[in-house]
Amino acid sequence: MVVNAGSPFRMRDVSFAYPGREAAAVRDVGFEAGAGDGIAVLGANGAGKSTLLRLAMALVHPTSGTVEVGGRDTRGLAPEDVARDAGFLFQHPELQLLERSVTAEVAYGLRQRGTAGSEAEARARVVLAETGLDAVADEHPYDLSPSLRRLVALAAALATEPAVLLLDEPTAGLNRAARAVVAAVVRARRERGAAVLAVTHDGEFALEALSDAFVMDQGRIVARGAVEAVLGTRPSVPDLPASAALARRLQLATTSPRAAPVAVALAERCRLLG
Amino acid sequence: MSAIELDTVSLRYVDAAADALDGISLDIESGAVTWLHGAPGAGCSTLLLALGGYAPRFTGGALRGRIRMLGADPQTEDGRAALRGRVAYVTAVPALQLSGIAATVWEEIAFAPANLGWPIETIRTSVDTVLDRLGIRGLSTRNPLELSGGELQRVVVAAVAVLEPSVWLLDEPATALDAGGRARLFDVMISEARRGAAVVVASEDADALGPVADRLIVLQHGRVVLDGRPAELLSGDAVWAAGAAGTAYADIARRAAGLVASPRLAPPYPLDLALAVTRWS
Amino acid sequence: MTAGTAALAFTLPAPSGPLVLYAGVVLLVLLAGAARAARTAALLSLTIWGFLWLLHVVLPGGRGPEAALAQGARIGAIATASVYLLHTFDPSAFLDAFAARGWPFAPAYFMVATMQAAPRLRARASGILEAQRARGLRVGRSPLARIRAIVPLTLPLLLGTIAEVDDRALALESRGLGGRRSSRRTPLAPSPFRSIDEALCWGTALAVAAALAVRLA
Repeated sequence: MVVNAGSPFRMRDVSFAYPGREAAAVRDVGFEAGAGDGIAVLGANGAGKSTLLRLAMALVHPTSGTVEVGGRDTRGLAPEDVARDAGFLFQHPELQLLERSVTAEVAYGLRQRGTAGSEAEARARVVLAETGLDAVADEHPYDLSPSLRRLVALAAALATEPAVLLLDEPTAGLNRAARAVVAAVVRARRERGAAVLAVTHDGEFALEALSDAFVMDQGRIVARGAVEAVLGTRPSVPDLPASAALARRLQLATTSPRAAPVAVALAERCRLLG
Repeated sequence: MSAIELDTVSLRYVDAAADALDGISLDIESGAVTWLHGAPGAGCSTLLLALGGYAPRFTGGALRGRIRMLGADPQTEDGRAALRGRVAYVTAVPALQLSGIAATVWEEIAFAPANLGWPIETIRTSVDTVLDRLGIRGLSTRNPLELSGGELQRVVVAAVAVLEPSVWLLDEPATALDAGGRARLFDVMISEARRGAAVVVASEDADALGPVADRLIVLQHGRVVLDGRPAELLSGDAVWAAGAAGTAYADIARRAAGLVASPRLAPPYPLDLALAVTRWS
Repeated sequence: MTAGTAALAFTLPAPSGPLVLYAGVVLLVLLAGAARAARTAALLSLTIWGFLWLLHVVLPGGRGPEAALAQGARIGAIATASVYLLHTFDPSAFLDAFAARGWPFAPAYFMVATMQAAPRLRARASGILEAQRARGLRVGRSPLARIRAIVPLTLPLLLGTIAEVDDRALALESRGLGGRRSSRRTPLAPSPFRSIDEALCWGTALAVAAALAVRLA
């Protein structure tokens, strides 16, 4: 992970307990996400993963410690303020879809921050192209399949070009094609400098789209490292995906555990073996 | 006689340019897990909806051809009345399958048998049995609305398994589950097939269904294009050619084969890690 | 539940001696152990009593303290009985009672399911608020901001609920609800329709008839 004075996202000694509950949902959590970092937040249900994302978006505030988004302390900020720097993808897009067309829906966040209608629409169309949704640009969001609806919500979160992306189970329930789009888009945004924090149970997505991972257990971070070093190491995290497992077992000389580079290394191995 | 018989079944949705199902004729047997696979839009979900008698009834559109399930026609009211309690339908989103009036998991599971008028003693024993079969006895007094996704899916499956249905129609039942939840769900499907039910599951996950299914049917543009044993079909290119995805190892092999011509990268593709390691060491 | 219904029927058309009625209902409710319900109803009634006192006693043209007391008592009795009904309403028992009498289950189910949906919808509404705020919706204190926030908060709730209807209907069907030739639903718990409830119901009906007879005579 890149540690940088101007990190887009940082948590320092953050603890939080829901009012009325004795046990803290999040305990002494500290980490940093630099520009271009992609962090998978792993762990069993109830470990505090979703709460972590909510702290990041100032939907709740820490009982102790500091959360910094875009260089600003979130204490005293409302979610609509953090929206200046962060984009949030909720698991259930039906919670937000309200416009009559996909384009309008994607432009919503831009209009909320005062962007003029025509420019908002133009920028929305660019994001629609990025997420492969051009064909449904004029459809009513509720007429789309659940997978496409989630992609629309993703496009909406990306439209404001956030420096920080907060994703809650971005691939859960999606079909294969949509999962591939989400992974590709997240990778691309990271290459453009966005920092990504994603709660996920999808090992393939974590491997393809993200760089690092940490595991939460009862509110604490109990393990951290590169994605391929953390996956498959305990029952509460997803298994190591096929390409990474193969690369490890065959000791392939590959630059990365993702499917494409592993295939290249495998091809090279087969060429040498004849 | 097969559990399910389709005779030249076609279905077209309203304002659609083409048939969603195009002249499908199939016999699906009891006591087996039949896996429907295909790209999105190939017709797998539509086929399940038609078998359940929900399409075109809820979806709109027109259906031609004949469907017989357990000797009845699910497309008619009489047929559906005869099939009540004998056909289970499970989708990917468990929360939408709850009754909404059950205070506990026990009540949720008892909902269907009570609706069918089973005697209370039979309901009690059946719910008891299914709680153990699905390993959810510990959840029986919990409020269904407070359960996690994986627990909820198990409860929803239990709530139909209690009826001991003769036909299971499952549409991508595991997409919202983690690896442990998936494994438990597929164990239930296998045990239901062993119990004699006809289990039909639509899924894009070749790695998960390959070892579980007895028969693989691949649809493309509403037509059956492949029909055979999963291991055989997954070890070749045919599944990919039909627009559906094969196993992860087949995917890696095909990508590598695009770069280097080598007999090691040609079919038959390895279906799991052990076989892949053997092949490519 | 049946006691509550009996109390309701008890109070509605009885215009004579309402004060006695009111006292009787409150006593019944307290006896039944629902002190909290009685308190809620009393608080509710208090505002109404105050208003009625103002109307009939303080302001000119009112009909005097007797009218205020009578009307207050009527409303108080009805309010207490209603609050008690809501307080003791047990959806499962209600549905079981329906089933035990062989009445059609589906309408009762839909009524109860709609009521039970309230907490779910509330949770959903708060989820919607969060999602829209995360997209930059300002929900400041100004009334204008709040008015502007109405559509983005309510529309997803409506549309989202409607979009689910087909999936829910499908699932319910496969659980044996609806369709022709529905068999009688089995009650899940022994129906607690005790003889005292029966007595209360008959007693109520007789009292109502008697009151009407006296009134009309």
